[in-house]
Amino acid sequence: MDGANHEFDAIVVGAGHNGLAAAAMLARSGRKVLVCERRDIVGGLAAREEFHPGFRVPGFHHDSTCVRPRVIEALRLESFGLKRTNPPSIFAPHLSGPGLLLHHDAGAAADEIAAHSDTDAQRYADYRAFIERIAPAVLRLLDEAPPDVLGLNIDFSRLLSTGWSLRKLGRRDMMELLRIAPMCVADWLDEWFACDLLKCTLAGSAIFGTFTGPWSPGNNALLLRHEVLSGGAVFGGPANLIDALRQSAEHFGATIRTGADVSRVRVTDGRVDGVTLSDGEEIDASCVAASCDPKRLFLGLLGRQAVTTKLRLHIESYRMSGTTAKVHLAIKGRLRFACRPDLNVEHARIADSLDDMERAFDAIKYERFSDRPVLDVYVPTVSDPNLAPDGHSVVSIMAHYAPYTLDGGWNDAQRSRLTENVLSILEQYAPGLRDCVVASETLVPPDIEKRYGVAEGQWHHGEHGLDQLIVRPAPECTEYATPIAGLFLCGSGAHPGGGLTCGPGALAADRIIRGA
Amino acid sequence: MPIESPFHPQTAKRCKSLRWKDWSGYYAVCAYDTYAEREYFALRHSAGLMDVTPLYKYDVCGADAEDFLTHVMARDIRKLADGQVSYCCWCDEAGKLLDDGTVWRFSKDRFRVTAAEPCLAWFFENAHGFEVSLSDVTDRIATASLQGPTSRDILKQACGGKIEGLRFFRMTPVSIDGFEAIVTRTGYTGDLGFEIWVDNEHAPRLWDVLSEAGKPYGLLPTGLDALDVARVEAGFIMNGVDYYSANHCLIESRKSTPYESGLGWTVHLDREPFIGQSALRAEKYRGPDRRFVGLEIDWDEFEALFAKHRLPPEVCSAAWRDPKPIYNLKGQHVGHATSGAWSPTLKKNLALATVQASHAKIGAELRFEVTVEYVRHTVKAVVVKKPFFDPERKRA
Amino acid sequence: MSTSNRYDVIVIGGGHNGLICAAYLAKAGRKVLVLERRHVLGGAAVTEELYPGFKFSVCSYVVSLFRPHIIRDLELAKHGFDLIPLECSHLPLPDGDSLCRWADAHETRREIARFSARDAEIYPEFGLAMSKLSHFVKAMIDSPAPDPASLNPRELANLLRLGGQLKELGPDLMHLQMRLLTMSAVDFLDLWFESDILKAPMSVSGIIGTFLGVRSPGTAYVLLHHYMGEIDGAFRSWGFSRGGTGQVSMACARAAQSYGAEIRTECSVDRVLLKNASACGVVLENGDEIFAQTVVSGVDPQRTFFGFVGEENLDPEFAAQIRRYKLRGSSAKVNYAVDKLPMFGRTENDLHLRGDIAIAPSIAYLEKAYDQAKYGDFSDRPYLNIVIPSLVDPTVAPPGKHIVSCFVQYAPYKIKEGPEHWPKRSDALGDTVTDTIEEYCPGFRDSILFRQVLTPWDLEQEFGLTEGNIFHGELSQEQLLFQRPAAGWARYRTPISNLWMCGSGTHPGGGIMGAPGELAAKTMLGGGGV
Repeated sequence: MDGANHEFDAIVVGAGHNGLAAAAMLARSGRKVLVCERRDIVGGLAAREEFHPGFRVPGFHHDSTCVRPRVIEALRLESFGLKRTNPPSIFAPHLSGPGLLLHHDAGAAADEIAAHSDTDAQRYADYRAFIERIAPAVLRLLDEAPPDVLGLNIDFSRLLSTGWSLRKLGRRDMMELLRIAPMCVADWLDEWFACDLLKCTLAGSAIFGTFTGPWSPGNNALLLRHEVLSGGAVFGGPANLIDALRQSAEHFGATIRTGADVSRVRVTDGRVDGVTLSDGEEIDASCVAASCDPKRLFLGLLGRQAVTTKLRLHIESYRMSGTTAKVHLAIKGRLRFACRPDLNVEHARIADSLDDMERAFDAIKYERFSDRPVLDVYVPTVSDPNLAPDGHSVVSIMAHYAPYTLDGGWNDAQRSRLTENVLSILEQYAPGLRDCVVASETLVPPDIEKRYGVAEGQWHHGEHGLDQLIVRPAPECTEYATPIAGLFLCGSGAHPGGGLTCGPGALAADRIIRGA
Repeated sequence: MPIESPFHPQTAKRCKSLRWKDWSGYYAVCAYDTYAEREYFALRHSAGLMDVTPLYKYDVCGADAEDFLTHVMARDIRKLADGQVSYCCWCDEAGKLLDDGTVWRFSKDRFRVTAAEPCLAWFFENAHGFEVSLSDVTDRIATASLQGPTSRDILKQACGGKIEGLRFFRMTPVSIDGFEAIVTRTGYTGDLGFEIWVDNEHAPRLWDVLSEAGKPYGLLPTGLDALDVARVEAGFIMNGVDYYSANHCLIESRKSTPYESGLGWTVHLDREPFIGQSALRAEKYRGPDRRFVGLEIDWDEFEALFAKHRLPPEVCSAAWRDPKPIYNLKGQHVGHATSGAWSPTLKKNLALATVQASHAKIGAELRFEVTVEYVRHTVKAVVVKKPFFDPERKRA
Repeated sequence: MSTSNRYDVIVIGGGHNGLICAAYLAKAGRKVLVLERRHVLGGAAVTEELYPGFKFSVCSYVVSLFRPHIIRDLELAKHGFDLIPLECSHLPLPDGDSLCRWADAHETRREIARFSARDAEIYPEFGLAMSKLSHFVKAMIDSPAPDPASLNPRELANLLRLGGQLKELGPDLMHLQMRLLTMSAVDFLDLWFESDILKAPMSVSGIIGTFLGVRSPGTAYVLLHHYMGEIDGAFRSWGFSRGGTGQVSMACARAAQSYGAEIRTECSVDRVLLKNASACGVVLENGDEIFAQTVVSGVDPQRTFFGFVGEENLDPEFAAQIRRYKLRGSSAKVNYAVDKLPMFGRTENDLHLRGDIAIAPSIAYLEKAYDQAKYGDFSDRPYLNIVIPSLVDPTVAPPGKHIVSCFVQYAPYKIKEGPEHWPKRSDALGDTVTDTIEEYCPGFRDSILFRQVLTPWDLEQEFGLTEGNIFHGELSQEQLLFQRPAAGWARYRTPISNLWMCGSGTHPGGGIMGAPGELAAKTMLGGGGV
């Protein structure tokens, strides 16, 4: 970092989990860091929000199992209140049968599966063992800065060591990994299992938030990615991760400003020299790390002169189209699935078969939302009852799929139709739910864009297509640095991509600390 | 199959040779006669009339039209006055030539660009953030080129005295036989000349009016063969012959820069950013590796070489475009001549070539490959100043 | 045992790959016998006179990317191989308009400009970028698949060489290559073009013969095949075989015979004869045994191993690999004899019909066609790829009459009712195709003299293509290169010693390329296989 006489060494744009992680890492290295958050609350897609008086959801995200251990350790998040628990057991309810509780404990899960198929139960153990075996090699790719696949300056020793970690898998597993990564999740799961509920529950991780269905090639890599990243969950949900990150960042000396809407990243002679807020305030710094999505950064916050045509075209063609709607329900009592009424479910996935999931996906190809969406249900009040008044619960639902551009346009009537689609499915599995609903909130992709500032409501900051995971987001800026000196990417639009990993934030901080 | 230009009914009637070629998808006359000689001499001694409709034409309008063109062109378009035409080139981000052509300024928010190749898509790509509308008017506007010493007199007959004072690289709207036209004082012959731009529907009438007016002034319809000789004499570079648009090159070495192509004078570096600026600045600082030069092939040596085989010197009557290697005196390959012609006016054997910068000084002596009786030889060729032929009347 | 019943090599299946393999082996001096189950040679590349005077290229209807060096090596021109290039690519639209892409660049530009001036200019740039990349692909299809798991220095050197070739492309093209390998055809075309009317017919090349839609990731790669500029130019590498596609096979057969190979038709193999887990010949359905030092199978992997070898003779893990190998036929063929030329939207002349005609009016149309197939129906408005070979090759139909040959996608092998119910749906499929064409060519139905419908079931039953897959296995990423047909067995060798593969189920895959047959023969000859 140069010695310019600014109040801050670095400005981080956006106080989502990656922005905060980057800020905390930078502050920890002794830099004076300012985080500018547009909204009045921090957390971005993991922010705790009240959607009805007394009812709060702990974040847009449901899944808090992928936070990188290295970040937790380096930022001492556990000493700042982060509690990790067992990953949630995912319940797959069924209309005619007991459903399936995919227990976090593999043994318990196998017992559940055995109720459906003994073979599958046996295979599930093999499946978990396979994941364990390939995890080290895959994690290497995800927990380090991306390999320089375009070979501008190939680091042969790294390439060899990455290659070696693959080779260490042994010929069989290595070939298997190469075979299965580009497959579609349906084909691979079909090779393993017969039980539809099991396959649907597993497939969810591969398709949520993407423009793919179970039959789309390439998304099996996303299943593998999630399986190897996933570990303990954050107790109380994503927002508790934000609380810890914030305390850590402030502990290390970072300043966090909310209501500070960066409207321009200023560039002079190809170098960053600060940011301008929407109220006109200018803050100088020779380093800016943007945790917002690449489209917002390159097409919105930077002037047209700062971005070359080639880079602009790459960013324009970066696929980023929201596919998820979010429904928040405030309910009396608790969510009770008819097939297992005693089970106090924290996490559920509702889809009867891979074909049903695929049908739900078909809709967005024609700019419609699914008549029977696939639901990912999260009941945060199970572990944190404080999120709702006594005797009440919060049910947070991700409904897949809903397009960013709806044929005929989004309006309140369409939002209600979508909410109705979701409620009618839930009502089938949890009869009586409808009567318990106190209030609800529905966010469709344009709402998500507006609230969280992510282009087109794509909450992974860019489609998780293989091409966009290998080179993320554009060849000019795959390793966090951009062609503009002093400007870095530190959000989910950079390697290793979306999800509550804090990986992009931490790896971007590494890159900034390492210097040019 | 090529299509017919709006002048086709007129040109087809006169093209006795039936020699046509495909120019950007249009039928274009090579020569109306069996030989282009008469047409060439008309261009230099009286006047020639050519159908140059296949040139690509784009209208650039809108509040940011000037800023946009300033951003894409290597030349600083803001220096243009209303009614002025400017010869320009444009490059990619790496400073490699994409095309050359003219930019006309009607007003701050209205311009026209002419080009040798389609470039609308490229303009679109780079128009992001500019309030500008781009439209391809190539197939709506017909263009006649009237070139030669008597062209001004002919045009005066056709459209009145208004063009009398029209200066070099300026334009003016005129009325010809009751329809509107734009006259630009431009051309590709390096001589006094004009180009007349009309809506397609008026093309046949324009041709007839000009032909009629030109009768007493020795006007002849002229084909591309004659034009090619004239453009070599003028030392003009040609896209697709003397250089290739970077967009079409399979390999890097095929690409050229303005400095390598003798177009450095059209590049204005010290201004607001434009496409290719940093690469061009670096190249200017470093100096180009190659340069585009005019070569005069030594006639005596050339004649002697043929005489040795008891043959008269063979020069082809039209310009040539098949590239030939250029060597230094040690016999090392140092460049290539890309087009050339025997100049009937100068009585010189001319070539246009791209050679290593160290061999590009005026007066530098090189060797030019000549094949006599199926055997390759070289003859002396000297780097000379371009244009080879530069009559005062061109600018007067 | 008579000596005439002993061969160096027996090739199972007289398709073009089997014949090419046989020809190369015979040329190298081996005593070769080719066994074909049907009465005609050619496998899926056959010509049959199904209706008097009309010679149908029953299954495979265009020759794509046939390796030119095979034509040279086997002197196929001398044996009757004669390719007539497709002249254009025509897309009729429901509103009566159409887009025709020609070999003439300016004409194509003007055509596309009617829909998008921008796209018209980008089109040649796209072609240029594709041809820059095609060098790499050419290197891939003209050599055996690389083996990434091997530590053998020669293999590593080979990998490095391929890596080096990639690197030579430079970062921009490498990025493009990476995108091409991973993106969907539509997403990839979206990078370049705006007009659906241009993108739709271009995108279909990515899905032909696969059970994927134009929006399925991984389908972009096949776009490249259309730009594999052989010496005669991009358009020229796709063509009709004079006298029908069967002539390609006949030429290969004559070449093989000229080198001394023996070919028997109506000679159905029942199983591969094994001795100590090693192939030593075949048993015919009539019980005859024929012995050979080596057996090569030109049929698809599942039929080879489960049909001819028997699962009991396979290592369970290998058997599992072959069982999960996806065949999933997705296409059908409908052939017509007609007495009037269908004009497809243009009446001034028939030049636009001398190439291929695509019924693919929009991306949504194609995607909807795919969606139906996913759930076990054939598309009620399918993608059709139509050729009228009789226009450029008058030898295949009586004067004034024509053959209209339609490739139909999607018609999934596994229909809801079960594949064995296809015969009952066959006519409905034929009617669907007729109705679809009728929408673009009113009066077509009345011009039909004869119709042949080949459902995926028919392709399996008649031509031995398991699940009706025309490429002997889906051309999806996990089934290409070193994984075709199974990881570790992509070099034509099999776990059964002396049993080899040479069909489209091996690298580099399906289509009338000839490369699997050639590479298999060369690998066998080089690796001590024969």
